[in-house]
Amino acid sequence: MHVRLFFQQVWMGLKLYLRIPAALFWIVAFPIVMLMGMGTVFGGDTPPGVTLAWERAGAAGARDLALQQALQERGVTIEALDPAQAEARWQQGKLAALLEGQGERTTLRINRYATAQGMQIEALVQQAYLMVQARAQGAAPLARIPVVASSPGGHHDGPYAAYLLPGLLGLTVLMMGVFSTGIVDVTLRAKGGYKRLATTPLPRSIYLGAQLCVRLIVLLVAAALLMLDGALVFGVRNQGSYADLLAVEVLGAACFISLGYVLASFARTPEVYSGIANLVFLPLMLLSGVYFSLDSAPPWLQRAADVLPPTPLLKALRAIFNDGAGIASQAPGLALLAGWTVVLFVLATRRFRWV
Amino acid sequence: MYQWAIEARGLHKRFGKVEAVRGLDLDVARGEVFGLLGPNGAGKTTTLEMLEGLVTPDSGRIRLLGLDWAREGRAIRGRIGVQFQSTELDDKVKVREAIQMYGSFYPRARAPAELLRLLQLEDKAEVYQSRLSGGQRQRLALGLALVNDPELVFLDEPTTGLDPQARQGLWDLVRGLKREGRTVLITTHYMDEAEALCDRIGIMDHGRILQLGTPAELIASLEQPSFAQIEFRGPAPDAGAFAARLGLPVETRAQHWAVPLGDPRRDLPHLLACVDALDVPMQQLHVRRASLEDVFLQRTGRSLRD
Repeated sequence: MHVRLFFQQVWMGLKLYLRIPAALFWIVAFPIVMLMGMGTVFGGDTPPGVTLAWERAGAAGARDLALQQALQERGVTIEALDPAQAEARWQQGKLAALLEGQGERTTLRINRYATAQGMQIEALVQQAYLMVQARAQGAAPLARIPVVASSPGGHHDGPYAAYLLPGLLGLTVLMMGVFSTGIVDVTLRAKGGYKRLATTPLPRSIYLGAQLCVRLIVLLVAAALLMLDGALVFGVRNQGSYADLLAVEVLGAACFISLGYVLASFARTPEVYSGIANLVFLPLMLLSGVYFSLDSAPPWLQRAADVLPPTPLLKALRAIFNDGAGIASQAPGLALLAGWTVVLFVLATRRFRWV
Repeated sequence: MYQWAIEARGLHKRFGKVEAVRGLDLDVARGEVFGLLGPNGAGKTTTLEMLEGLVTPDSGRIRLLGLDWAREGRAIRGRIGVQFQSTELDDKVKVREAIQMYGSFYPRARAPAELLRLLQLEDKAEVYQSRLSGGQRQRLALGLALVNDPELVFLDEPTTGLDPQARQGLWDLVRGLKREGRTVLITTHYMDEAEALCDRIGIMDHGRILQLGTPAELIASLEQPSFAQIEFRGPAPDAGAFAARLGLPVETRAQHWAVPLGDPRRDLPHLLACVDALDVPMQQLHVRRASLEDVFLQRTGRSLRD
């Protein structure tokens, strides 16, 4: 009787889930869209060419020509501008850097609001200028240290999509918990749906168990579709064991679905809940390193991120998916995640209210 | 069969500083349609939720159908049906699915086709419940309360917000429940509804039942069985001078004065004499029987829909 009731509840729950386009979009379609979009934009192996704006008043001197040649050898495209043009473009903030030649003196102006790009241009200009000076002093052809672009981890020398995909697997779990689970919980309580159920003999454990099961099934389908997309479009494949990946995904789901119920227990209306959910979701997402590595963040921020639950989840997913690591090698991080799960689960069951 | 559907003794419930229910006793016999009336904040909802097993009383005891909530909750849930005010269902659940799902919670459930026929929702069986009209949705909510063939049914303001035709439809369903021998506890805002449906009525305010009886008994309990209604074109003027001359209390309503009459033969000529003497700009005079509304006003000092 109870087994049948459980499966009936799961079946009904799945049917209802499939009828909400918004929920399906965020959990199933959104990660795929992100992978396609960001994987393509940041996926190219050749970095986009660098263009240098060069303001010259008169005709180019011999030294200018030498510098121009050296810059072109370094792959820089040069855009020559007359002073009026250059000033206009600069004032509009369209230039990251501007090389200004005034007779013998040459100055490089860097845009304070685009320092990353400006400094990249500066490095190229300085190199080229050193080459010009070395040649002028009759130096032999200059040698360079060879450079290889490679992804961290070792085994998988993949594109950005390979970094992104396991991150998106984790993000889906986070969104499922914080948004999809919590909002349904608050809405049902506010509308009296739980109350109504509580007047029937339906065992509450069966109802909640079925809800968890529905969410897990949706998550696993979403994960399968995302990995299929990664394999077909970007040639990115799971390097580790699917069983390990599944185990980590289920642990993550338990953690973040519990988090959703905990957060939901603090809100009386769906409107209040959206506020709380965003307040929690945004920092967790940004600190988890879904899209980019946190290596350049301040150390205290990295340490804070390390103890939050998304970080160990993503690290384990990446280690398995990208490097083919065994689940045992991720034990410390997963222990932390399991700790969070226990705390959140206990809190969720304690704070859960039907009325 | 056990005689009482509901036996409640000494119920108390406090939420923080608010004492929602203070010492409520209630007996409802099997087969009875019992109406619980009271203004907002009277403690109706809390009382209902305690009876439905959703809220545990701070003190007091509740037995439904001879069973104790504290020990036999599961058995009670199998034998009662509850209908709520708001639609608590998922928007995207279809009518037949909702009936099937609620049926699956019970060991024995009525066939969906039978319920759909009873509720006149046969042609809406495959429609999302959010697409139903207000009346259809209330009928569905009632149907879900009946899915387990319950002996005791709780209806919380079943016709609030419905048009007159939909109300009539729901009333017919409730009368049907009585014919089938079910016990019904109903809360409502409408006096005519209470009068039309209920065998007995309890008027609640401030967490207690103030008065209990059949509609006829309640009306008879008023010392003035009839009212004179002096109607004006436009808002009713101040009644002070008139009341003083008449020697009877006069209630000023929006467009009329209401004067309770102990003995119409004695009071009416005197009343007309006073109207003439003071040249009151009366348009019409009606004499009407006292209603439950008057009972309610007198007992609670408030109108039901305030």
